[in-house]
Amino acid sequence: MDLLWEGLIEAFRLIGRFDPLVMNAAWRSLWISLLAVSLAALVGIAIGSLLARCKFFGRGALVLLFRAGMGVPTVLIGLVGYALLSRRGPLGPLDMLYTPWGIVAGEFFLALPIIVTWTHGAISNLDPRVAETALTLGANTLRRWRTYLSEVRMAIYLALLTAFARCFTELGIAMMIGGNIKYRTRTLATATAMETSAGEFARGVAMSLLLLFGAMLLTFAIARLMRTEEER
Amino acid sequence: MKPTISMRHNVTVQPVSEKPLIAAKDLAVKKQGTTICHVPELTITAGERVGIMGGNGSGKTTLLRVLAGLEHDHDGICQVATEPRERVFVHQAPYLMRGTVLFNVAYGLAARGVATAERNASAHSWLAQLGVDQLDDRRIANLSGGERRRVALARAFCLSPRLLLLDEPLADLDEAGIETVSAAIASLENTTVLISSPIPLPDGLVTRTVSIDSIEGMPAASLD
Repeated sequence: MDLLWEGLIEAFRLIGRFDPLVMNAAWRSLWISLLAVSLAALVGIAIGSLLARCKFFGRGALVLLFRAGMGVPTVLIGLVGYALLSRRGPLGPLDMLYTPWGIVAGEFFLALPIIVTWTHGAISNLDPRVAETALTLGANTLRRWRTYLSEVRMAIYLALLTAFARCFTELGIAMMIGGNIKYRTRTLATATAMETSAGEFARGVAMSLLLLFGAMLLTFAIARLMRTEEER
Repeated sequence: MKPTISMRHNVTVQPVSEKPLIAAKDLAVKKQGTTICHVPELTITAGERVGIMGGNGSGKTTLLRVLAGLEHDHDGICQVATEPRERVFVHQAPYLMRGTVLFNVAYGLAARGVATAERNASAHSWLAQLGVDQLDDRRIANLSGGERRRVALARAFCLSPRLLLLDEPLADLDEAGIETVSAAIASLENTTVLISSPIPLPDGLVTRTVSIDSIEGMPAASLD
């Protein structure tokens, strides 16, 4: 217990004086997750909408595939990413292994199924009068799509926040594709694991606290969003 | 020669063009093997305001949906001489999009590329005619049933469609509301209006009525 308590005090000290190692890992975790989720949102919202509104052969199988993708362990994505991006892999020439861009690519595939599945579910369950009303009022395909997204925006916000939380706190992809290189690819999650195993317990707790702080911020953001939407 | 229209209720006589806007013959819609709407013959000319009469489950709403182009799976002939964009259907329980009343009323005009100032002016004008212009910046979640109904009607009216299909437009309205909405419907020029509505309809709301009763084993549609 003392160890944990001392770790907490040391953690606040490190955060208070903006320890460069801690801040560097925190900043990297933040921008990598934000970029991965933004890219996944661009692709995932479009795929989710198409799966919800267009009928084509194999649609059901694709929906199932994305649903299953939400439960894929991050180490598996990391392993596949490593195999693809390693020098002998098909994507080796891109030279993305052990770079932040490699982690972004891996986290993209972590966030994508979450965003696709939530968007598909929300639009599929939309009141059928939304489409009929938009259609009968003369909305073209693009405007109808914007209307669907507007009507389900709460679900999409939640999907984005959930995807961000998954990416921000994941360990497997950052460890296997990023390689946990100091000041290059180290994230909060990999730093926490490494510092703790190296006996730097206080630093590990500091990293964990930042992860916890990020998760709490997200929870507040979700609660705030839900309240704002309820008022509308 | 200007045609006159036979009337069941106390209604105004309105000249209409000869060419039928809607022509249906042996129109039948089946769901799970049961006929839910059957109209042996229906002809409506442009400019008419027709009230569709029938009991619960007689297929009034289904008929309106077929005419609106929202229901494609039917037997028989159903010809509507307007583009789908020129038909507007208002649901029995209208759906209003998230946002303000003004956003909702101007939605169709925005979809047609009408400039913001022009569409807002039109939306305000129709909201005023329907007695709800004070609600323009109100969020739709804060509207009563009658207010929602009037907003949905204003949204349809400001498009001036050639064919307006209204499913129970007077539901949820109080006496004053019924009077206001009826006057607004009666003022629509060059628009054919079909109303599925409870009996009795207010005087002057329709130019004639059509009765349908499509439940299997019951008398087929009859026309005035």
